[in-house]
Order: sequence, then structure tokens, then C-alpha cells
Amino acid sequence: MSGILPRRALLVGSAALALPLAAPAQTAPAFPGQPIRLVVPFAPGGTTDLVARLLSQGLQDQLGQPVIIENRAGAGATVGSLAVAQAAPDGHTLLMSNIASQGVAPSLYRSLRYDALRDFTHIALVVDNPLAFLANPRFPATTLADVVRLSREDARGIDIASSGSGSTNHLLILQFGQATGAHVNHVPYRGAGPAMTDTIAGVVPMMSDSLPSAAAHIRAGSVRPLALSAGTRHPAFPAVPTFREQGVDLVSTSWFGLSGPAGLPPAVTERLGRAAAAVLADPALRARFAEIGGTVGALGPDGYTEFVRAEIARWAPVVQASGAQVD
Amino acid sequence: MDIISNLAFGFGVALSFQNVLFALIGALIGTAIGVLPGIGPVATISLLLPITFGQPATTAIIMLAGIYYGAQYGGSTTAILLNLPGEISSVVTTLEGYKMARNGRAGAALATSALGSFFAGSVATIFVAGSGPLLTQVALSFGPADYFSLMLLGLIISAVLAQGSVVKAIAMVALGVALGLVGTDVQTGQQRFTFGIPELSDGISFVALAMGMFGIAEIILNLERPESRSVLKTKVGSLWLTKEEWKRATPSVLRGTALGSVLGILPGGGAALSSFGSYMLERKVSKGRHLFGSGAIEGVAGPEAANNAAAQTSFIPLLTLGIPSNAVMALMVGALIIQGIQPGPRMVEAQPDLFWGLIASMWIGNVMLLVINLPMIGMWVKLLQVPYKFLYPAILVFCAIGAYSVNNNVFDVYSTAMFAVIGYLFNKLRLEPAPLLIGFVLGPMMEEHLRRAMLLSRGDPMIFVQRPISATMLAIGAVALAAMLLPNLRKGKDAALAG
Repeated sequence: MSGILPRRALLVGSAALALPLAAPAQTAPAFPGQPIRLVVPFAPGGTTDLVARLLSQGLQDQLGQPVIIENRAGAGATVGSLAVAQAAPDGHTLLMSNIASQGVAPSLYRSLRYDALRDFTHIALVVDNPLAFLANPRFPATTLADVVRLSREDARGIDIASSGSGSTNHLLILQFGQATGAHVNHVPYRGAGPAMTDTIAGVVPMMSDSLPSAAAHIRAGSVRPLALSAGTRHPAFPAVPTFREQGVDLVSTSWFGLSGPAGLPPAVTERLGRAAAAVLADPALRARFAEIGGTVGALGPDGYTEFVRAEIARWAPVVQASGAQVD
Repeated sequence: MDIISNLAFGFGVALSFQNVLFALIGALIGTAIGVLPGIGPVATISLLLPITFGQPATTAIIMLAGIYYGAQYGGSTTAILLNLPGEISSVVTTLEGYKMARNGRAGAALATSALGSFFAGSVATIFVAGSGPLLTQVALSFGPADYFSLMLLGLIISAVLAQGSVVKAIAMVALGVALGLVGTDVQTGQQRFTFGIPELSDGISFVALAMGMFGIAEIILNLERPESRSVLKTKVGSLWLTKEEWKRATPSVLRGTALGSVLGILPGGGAALSSFGSYMLERKVSKGRHLFGSGAIEGVAGPEAANNAAAQTSFIPLLTLGIPSNAVMALMVGALIIQGIQPGPRMVEAQPDLFWGLIASMWIGNVMLLVINLPMIGMWVKLLQVPYKFLYPAILVFCAIGAYSVNNNVFDVYSTAMFAVIGYLFNKLRLEPAPLLIGFVLGPMMEEHLRRAMLLSRGDPMIFVQRPISATMLAIGAVALAAMLLPNLRKGKDAALAG
């Protein structure tokens, strides 16, 4: 008999103790309560995948839950993006959002099944990197002016390779042609790797590529960088001038960020935004991103949402002028 | 002498306890995932990448490489035992390997595959060590026109050497090409035959197509005729090769090794061509060519050697140019970059321990695979004695997981089921799925290279005969076509005269 009462008292006591703990849990369940899926809408091994993997290590330490990369490639990154847009908005399914699926796709795809702004909660801009115009080392052009001149001298124009039709690399080639009147002939490839092979081999004299994917080849001297598309020179490649410096008013960067489905609880968004900011403040990670040709983004939820909005508006006329359109 | 000192240095790196251990772990994991149908090295490596972050770069890459060629080995096992090809190279292995298994020679087929792969892997390793940097030039000398002609040659030969009706084979190749064209057009970005389904915009999944048409269609057929299952169950036969089988397999392994080593260097799908190419070569030149279609050991030995040799030499573009030649290599680049190493032309000088250590570990990995696989042959063969009513649901489950794991998408599981039904119908109509798969793989690549070559030449088709490599390929193709057509014409004429 004597044993029961204290036990009951203990139970009541512990329930009473648990109450104040449980009450806030109803308004905001503990986040993250389970492993987080970070959907990468591209195949493993590419720049987006790489950025996501570097980020996920830090996020894991910040959030105290495993962050698992899930590659869902397809249809210019729109398959993976759609999957996240349709996921439960609890913060356990996140997207490595990027210029392809959030910036260009709204103008490129006629029947896109998500709204790049309204169907997502954008959390943080992670990395921003310039694109590069590269030439085979034996190609006579060393400046953009040379490229324009050579393209006009040759009745056939100049071949410039890219990672694919409708890619940002492709759009940069078109913008360059429009801005300078150079006679460019776009040669699309299935990804940046094969395009790089043919540029190194001299099958095509030039290509447009994102800096992270070209960095190793620039350092090795197997391709010559002619111009970078950021507003200022890149600290890892201080000798390479920008398009602007060479009199071509083009600023165009490729970017990656962290987003979730629309309607994430503000507390979760805030928690994730803080975690991402803490990860991106790590000097070792910043150095790693700089080394591969990126620049760490410093935009939180509001800033990144505005950034995406501006990018969508910026790409619409470019895509329209290019005539590229996917059903 | 440089090679020897470099290799000695490499073995010094690779033979450290830690590196040998991880080579073994990689080979074991690779074998395991290779055996599970459809779960390929890409899905596995991307899952295991986080494990490698804490390790030194050399150890990490040695383990990942172990998974890669372990998967090549393991893939052959299911291809031979269950007619289940998980990747392009093992499609060819199913053709004769599965027939051998049905004849009670499963053990011999598995042993041939293991030994042939080991030999080819060893030779290719020396090849990579000795002339890797030099071979880069070969890879770079292939332009779009040359790739087109090489693949056209592959298609011509595949039609020439088809089993049974040539008309049906050509029809299947054409259907395969058509299926391969589904998806986004590389040149214009237009969607072709996708019917508004976003999952189709990157084309039909190879894994879904191959597993459905071969493996699952085979299950349906087996369930239809119970007696064929009992054949598989009772006749296991000797596990080891007979003297005659040794004699027949050896020259095929040698030819396969040579062919695979050369084609593996080409970054644009050369490795895919190697096992097809070797199979076709064996059917034409080997002593047992009349046995093809009923379980010829040459048809296992040659392609298996070719595919493993190509797997080794496909590291050349990665190590010397920093350009990945397939999805697995792309992942390895990612793994290296995360480690802070930029793969590229300077890797030989900048990271000699990584470069030579990896090459030495290729050979060590091959030894381990032999050690793992030879004693396991008996166990694998016993798998066939598991009652089919238990075996086939397990296979179906693994196939579904495998199809799903490629893109983490349920759509691919549905496609697998659909292709299984089509594969079953094809079997009833006596249409072979192998030429269809050849067309499916080569067709889109051919189209891409053809259009790129024409784009670069501004529409001048003369580019295909002006480039020496392309011209040579086309000439060989013309000779092969003539060799096939002339005897038939003569035969036709004789028949006409007799009639």
C-alpha cells in the first residue's frame, strides 16, 4: 500500500512537470524532430550536388539531425523542385534551389507545374558564382574584342559550346551575341563535361561554363579564360577580367540556395535560416567555396525571396529573346 | 623504368593496412550491390559519399573505385543466374551466360566471368599505368564525326550478327533507336514523345527498360512453364571449367581485353560499346561461333573481359583530363573536390600518391574480387535451388527497389512493369530484346554526334569522309555490310538457279 501512493504522486508530479514543456510544443513542435531530406534536383557529381553536400555537413552539426542528400534529377531540375513544392511544409524536406529551376524555368517551361515564388519558402542564398567564357589555348583570341573581330572575319561565325540548350551558359552566349553583334553559333552538349572535352581538344574553339566546373581546367592551363560574368573580379582568379571591364555590359551569375515548400512555420524558417548563416560563416567552408570559384551568398529568408523574384524578372526577356521554349 | 618505379611507389601507398582494408570493403559492397538487380554503383556511391569525408583522399577514392568494379563483377552474377542485367555491359552477359546456366553450366559461366575479368583488369591496369597520359591524346583526337561513325559501325555489326531473322533484328534496333529518342532534344531543347510527363523529359530509364524486358519478362515466362524451373533446379553441374572450356575461353578473353582496353579510353560511350563489340567479334571469329545462342562460353568470356578492361581504362580521361566519362566517374570527381582536390591534368604531379596509389589499388581490388567471388560461386549456384515461389517475389522486390533508386522516383517502377509486359510479348513473337537495347543506347548518342558534326561543318556531310578516323570506321562498316550481303545474294542466286 505504502508503495502505491508515492508512485502516484510521482506520476502526477511528472505530468505536472511535463505540462509546461508540452505546452509550447503544441504551437511549435520541436524542429528538427527527424532527419532532413535535402533534395538536389540534379544528378550526383555536379556543382549543385557538390554545394549541397558541403552545406549538408555543416547543417547537420547545426541542427543535430542527419541531413540526407536525395538526388532527383530530371527536366532541367524541375522534377526535384516540384517534389519539394508538394512535400509537407514541416522543414524536413528541403530543396537545393538554383538558377535553373527557380530563375530560368518559369520563363523557359510553358507548362511548369509550380510557381517558383509562391510554392516555396526561400530560406537562404548559399553560393553565387560567375560564368566564364573559355577558349582553347591555341585559339588566337585573348580578349572579348578579339572574339567579336574573329567572328565577323569568318563568314561561318564562331562556335561556342555550352552544357545544353536553355542552360544559363547558353543564355550567356546569346546575351553576348546580342550585346556585341558577334556572329556566334551555339553548340549544345549533354552536360559541361563533354563540352569541356571538345574545347580542350579544339573541336570547338570556345565554351561558356560555370566557374566551379571550369576552375580546375583554368588552373591547369588546358583552357584559357577570356572573361568572367560577375560584377567584380573573382578573388581566386584575380587575373581574369570581367565582361564589363571589356566593354560588354553583362553581369550574370549562377546561384544555389536553400528552400522549402510554401507555408513553412516562421519559427522553422528562422531556425533553418540561422543554421545556414552559421554554416556559411565558417571560414573553412568559405575558403572551400572560393577555391571552386563560388562566392558565399549572405541573404536570409527575405533577402533570398526578393533575389529570386528579381532573377525571374531578369531572365524573362532574355529567354524570350532567345526563342527557347519548352512545353 | 619509370613505370616500374611509379608502380612500386603506388603499391607502397595502396598496400597500407588502411587502404587494403577499404579496397576490400569497397569490393565487398560493390559485389553485393552488383548482385542486387538494378541497384547500381551510382546510387550506392552517392549514399556512401559522406562516409568518405573523414578519410584521406586516397583511401576514399580507393574504396569508391572498389565499389565501381565490384559492381561490374556482381552485375554479371545476376545476369548469368537470373537473366537480370542491371547495366548496359551485363545485357550482353545474359545472352550466353543465362543459357549456360540453364544448361547446368552456371558455375563455369561464373568462373569464366571472374577469371576473365581478373585477367582483363590486370592487363588494363598495366596499360593505364604505362600509357595513360599518352592515351589521353587518343581520346582527344575523337571528334563528333568520328564518334558518329564508330557508333554507326557498332549498329551495322549488331544487325549483321543478329541471331535468327535479320529483318526482325533490324526492326528491333530501329525500335530501340526510336525509344532512345524520347526526351529532350539536345540541340533545340524541344520535348519529344514525352506526352507532357516530366519524368520522360530525360528519356526512358535504361534500368527500367533492361530489367523489365529481360529479368521480369523472364519471370513471367518461367511462371508460365513450370518445367523450365525444374531444369534450373536440378541440373547444377560441375562448378569448374572443363579442359575444353578453358581452351575455348582463353582466346576470347585475350580479344575482349584488347578491345575493351582501347574502347574504354573514349569518354563518349566507348565503354558501352566494348561488351557489345566483343560479343559481336566472338560470334564472328571464335571457334565456338556455331554454338552462339545456345550457351557459348566465348560469349561470356569475351564481353566480360572487355567490360572489365574498359572499366579500368575509363579512368584515363578522369585522371589525365579531369573529365568524368560516366556517372560513377562524375561522383568520384565530386568526392575528390569535397576532399579539396581538383582532379585535372596536373593530378599526376600534384597528387602522385593518389594517382599511382589508385592505379595500384585497381589491381589489388581485382585480386580481392577474385578471392571474394571464386569461393562464392558454389553459394550463388545454390541460390538456383531455392524454390522459385520464394525466389521470384524476392527478385521482383529488389527490381522495384533498384528501379526506384536510380532517380528516387516511383515513375521508373511503373515503367519497369510496363516493359516487363512488352518484353513478354516480344518473347512470344520471337523478337530479341538485345538489339533493341543496342539501338536504345547507341541511337541517341549517334544522333547527338551526327547533328553536332553537321552543326560544326555548317551542314557539309563531307566531314564524315574527310576525317581519317571517321572515314576508316565507315569503310569497315561498308566491308561488314558487303560481307553479310554478298553471300546472301550469291545464295539467293544459287537458289534461283536451282529453282
